[in-house]
Amino acid sequence: MSKPRVAFFDFASCEGCELQVANLEEEVLDLIEIVDVVSFREVMKEHSDDYDIAFVEGSIMRPMDEERLKKIRSNAKVLVAFGACATIGGVNKIRNQWQPDEVLKEVYGDADLEGNEFFDVFKTKAVDEVVKVDYYIYGCPPPREEIKKVITSLVMGKKPDIPNYPVCVECKKNENVCLFELGKFCLGPITRAGCNAICPSNGRACDGCRGILSEPDTRCVEDILERYGLTYDELKHRFTMFNYGREEEK
Amino acid sequence: MSLEGVRMKKSLSKQDFLRFLDNLISDDTLDVFGVKAKGKRFVFAPLESSSELRLDYDVTILPPKKFFLPQYETLLKFDVSRNSVSHKLDGKTRVVVGVHPYDIVALQQMDKVYFNSYVDRFYKQRRENTIIIGSDILNVSDRSFAASMGTHVVSSGYDLLVTDLGDTVVVDVGSEKGRVLLEKHTSELRDASEKEVKRVEELRAALPGKYKRSLKVEKERWREVLGNSYDHPLWKELSEKCLQCSSCTMVCPTCYCFDVKDEVSLNTVDGVRVRTWDGCLLPDFSKVASGEVFRKEKSERFRHRFYRKGLYLPERYGFVACVGCGRCAIACLPDIADPLDVINSLVERKSEAEGVLRFSIPESKAAAEEIDYLPRNAVIKRMEKLTEMETLFELEMEDGEPLVYEPGQFVEVSVFGVGEAPISISSPPQKSSSFELVVRRAGNVTSRLHSMRVGDRVGIRGPFGRGFDVKALEGRNLIFVAGGIGMVPMRSLICYVLDDKKREDYGMVTVLYGSKTPQDVLFMDEIKEWEKKSDVTVKLTVDTCPEGVCWDGCVGLVTSLFPQVRWKDVENTVAVVVGPPVMYKFVIKCLHTMGVRDENIYVSLERRMKCGVGKCGHCQINGVYVCKEGPVFNYSEIKDLPEAFS
Repeated sequence: MSKPRVAFFDFASCEGCELQVANLEEEVLDLIEIVDVVSFREVMKEHSDDYDIAFVEGSIMRPMDEERLKKIRSNAKVLVAFGACATIGGVNKIRNQWQPDEVLKEVYGDADLEGNEFFDVFKTKAVDEVVKVDYYIYGCPPPREEIKKVITSLVMGKKPDIPNYPVCVECKKNENVCLFELGKFCLGPITRAGCNAICPSNGRACDGCRGILSEPDTRCVEDILERYGLTYDELKHRFTMFNYGREEEK
Repeated sequence: MSLEGVRMKKSLSKQDFLRFLDNLISDDTLDVFGVKAKGKRFVFAPLESSSELRLDYDVTILPPKKFFLPQYETLLKFDVSRNSVSHKLDGKTRVVVGVHPYDIVALQQMDKVYFNSYVDRFYKQRRENTIIIGSDILNVSDRSFAASMGTHVVSSGYDLLVTDLGDTVVVDVGSEKGRVLLEKHTSELRDASEKEVKRVEELRAALPGKYKRSLKVEKERWREVLGNSYDHPLWKELSEKCLQCSSCTMVCPTCYCFDVKDEVSLNTVDGVRVRTWDGCLLPDFSKVASGEVFRKEKSERFRHRFYRKGLYLPERYGFVACVGCGRCAIACLPDIADPLDVINSLVERKSEAEGVLRFSIPESKAAAEEIDYLPRNAVIKRMEKLTEMETLFELEMEDGEPLVYEPGQFVEVSVFGVGEAPISISSPPQKSSSFELVVRRAGNVTSRLHSMRVGDRVGIRGPFGRGFDVKALEGRNLIFVAGGIGMVPMRSLICYVLDDKKREDYGMVTVLYGSKTPQDVLFMDEIKEWEKKSDVTVKLTVDTCPEGVCWDGCVGLVTSLFPQVRWKDVENTVAVVVGPPVMYKFVIKCLHTMGVRDENIYVSLERRMKCGVGKCGHCQINGVYVCKEGPVFNYSEIKDLPEAFS
C-alpha cells in the first residue's frame, strides 16, 4: 500500500500548529514512515500539488485566501482544519467586532492600501465557512497527541475519535481544584476536551480554544456567576478570546 | 462495653503512629498513599512522609475509587500486525491511608458491582493488592450528608481503621492483613484502654450533630419517592441549568461507568486498549454507531443519574448508590446535582409527583466467571457481500475451541487499533465449528471489518447476553417479524427452528420481513428455501421500490403485512420481533390487535453494548442491562420501562 501524501498549509495564523508537528522531534521519523510529506513550508523547500490529505492552519481573511483554499480543497481527498484559527476562527475573529475598514485604519492609519490585494480583507472566517472540512484538530495549539492520533487514524482508515465532551471531564480526572473555587472564570464546562485540561491543570482558566460545545442556559450562567462572585464581563472577556461571533448567552 | 470494643482495638501514641507510617513509606514492597492537601482541598496521593498526612480533612476531590478503577487503565496491549494481545496486572501491594467511612461503604458497593457476575479481574486484583487504612471523620464537609445515609461511621470494609484523638491514635484491626501490617511496622502497639475506646465512641456519637444538612426521608424510601416521580417537573426545571459536564459522575465514589478506546502509536502497529471513566450526563453516552442516541434529552440524562443512585441500583444490588459524601454538590457549578436537595425537593413537592416507574430485573444467565477483557482470535473463513451495507463473515476460533452460543446472543468483535463492537450472531447454533456474523457498515470497527479479507483475524469476546428462549417456544406457532438488519439475529433462530432435527418441536412458522428496498433484503436465497416449505409462510415488504427494480413482494411498512396473515390459534402463537427502534411500538400494537398476549411476544433490542458484561453502563434501559438481561426480552418484562420503546 502506498503511503498517503500529506501537505500542510497555513493562512492567517502564527504557524504554531505546524510547529507542533515539527516539534514531534524523533517521532517525525515515525511520521514519515507512515506518510509522505509533500508540502510543508515551515520545514521543507519542496512543494507538490499532488496530495491526499491537506492540513490547513489559519483563518480565512481575504478573497485571495478563499481562492487558494478552494484550490487546496479540490486537490485534496481529505481536508483537515488544523488549530483554533482554522477550526473556529479563534483569535482572528476578535476583530469581527469591528468592520474591516475600521480595523485597517486602526492598524495602518492613513497608509494607502487601495488596490493592494494583501490588504483586501473581509470579516474573518473559519475554514469550514469556505470549504467542506472532513476532520477537525482543535486547539491553540493542537496537542501533539491529538495530531498523532488523527494522522494514525487517517492512515488506518478510521474516523478520528475527537472528544465530544467538555474539558471538565479531563480536569476532574486530573483531580484539579476547580478554578471557580479559586475565583476564576473558566470555560472548561462548555469547551471541547482533548487537551487533557492542560490549562486548568496548570492553574490557568480555560479560554475555550477548542471551541464551545453547548450554550448554557442563561439562568444557569447567572447562578454560577453569583455563586462564585464573578461578573458577566469576566465571562465575556474569556468568551471573546477564541469564540467571538458564536451566539452568546445573552 | 459495645461489641465493637471486643474486637481488637489497639492504640499508639500520635508519634508512634507517625513512625508507623514512615516505616510503611520506607518499605520498598509497599506503595503508600494518603490524604494530602492540594490548595484548600484534599487528594489521595503518594505519601512521601507521615507529616504530609491530613487526617483532619473533610473530603477529597476524587474518591479512593481511582485506586481500583483508575481514570485511565490499560486493559491490554496489542500488535496490529500480528493480531496479538497481552496484558499485565500490576502486583505491588498498596496501602491507602485515611479513607473515610462513607468512602469505605462506597468501595463495598463497588465490590458488589465488580464482583457480581461477571467478576472483573482488573478490579479484583487491585482490591486484593490494596490495604485500606480507614479514618474516622474529624471534620465534616459542608455539603456532606453522610449521617443521613448512615455512612458517617463504619464497622467493616477496612483492614485498619484509625481514630486520631490528638495525643493518641486508636487503631481498630479489621482484618488479618491489617493486623500483620500493623505488627510488622510498629513495636509500640498496646491494647487500647477502656478510656480511649470510650473517647472514640464519643467522637463518633457527636458526629451526626456536626452535619448541617439532612434528608427529609430515610434512604430506604428513595425507591418509593423516585418510583412515583418519573415525570416530576423537577427533572426538567433542574436540567435546564445542567452544563452536561458530568463532573457529578466523575467525582462520585459510586459511579462506575467506563468507556474503552484503542490508542495506536504513530507506527500504526503497537497500541493499547484503554478503559477510562465515562459519565451518563454526556450526550454521547448512549450513542450507537448508527448515530442513534437512546437518551436524547438533557432532562432524561439528568434524571437517569438520580434513578441509578436511588432506584436502579437499589433494585439490583439492594443498596442506595449514594453515600452522602457531597462531592457532586461541590463539583456542580450550577449546584443542581446534590442528591439531598433533589430528594428533599421531591418530598416537599410530592403533590406534583407524576409518572410511576416499577420494574424488576429480568433473569440473566451471566456466569460468575472472571473476565479479563482479552479477546480470542478468530479467522475469517468466508466473506459474502449481502447488500451494499451488509457483509456476512464466517469465522472460526483460532484456538480450535468452537464458540458455544444460543440464537439471539452477540459477540464483541475486536479490530485491534480500531476498537470493539457488539455484533449479533447470525448462524444457528447447530452450525459446527464456525459461526456467522452479518455486519452493517456503520462505525469505525464495522467499516474496517468490511475492508478485511479471508484469512484475516479478528478478536472475539463472548458470546454475551440472553438469547431466545428456544424451550419456551416449543409447541408454539411462531410469527417472526423482522425489520432491516433485525433479520440478522432472527435468522439464527429461524434456522434453528426450521432445522430438520428441531422442526417437529415447533408449530406453524410465519415470517414477516420488511426492508428499505429490494436491494436491502438479507438472505434472499435462504428465504426462498423457507418459502418452499409447506409449514412456513413468508411475507416480504419494502418501504420503497426504486424504478426498474424487480420486486414481487409488497410495498409498505412491515405492519402492512399483518392483514395477510391467517391468524389461527392466536392463544398458542408466539411473536418474535426484531428491528429498528422505531418499529417495535407499531408492530406490538398490531400484535395486540390480533390478540397476541404480552408474555407471548419476544423482542431483541439494540443499545450501546460496550463491555458486554454489565459493567460499563452504556446499554441500560432504565435499570435493565441489555447486554446481560437482554438483548432478547420477553415483552412483559420490559413493557413498563419508559426507555424501552420510545
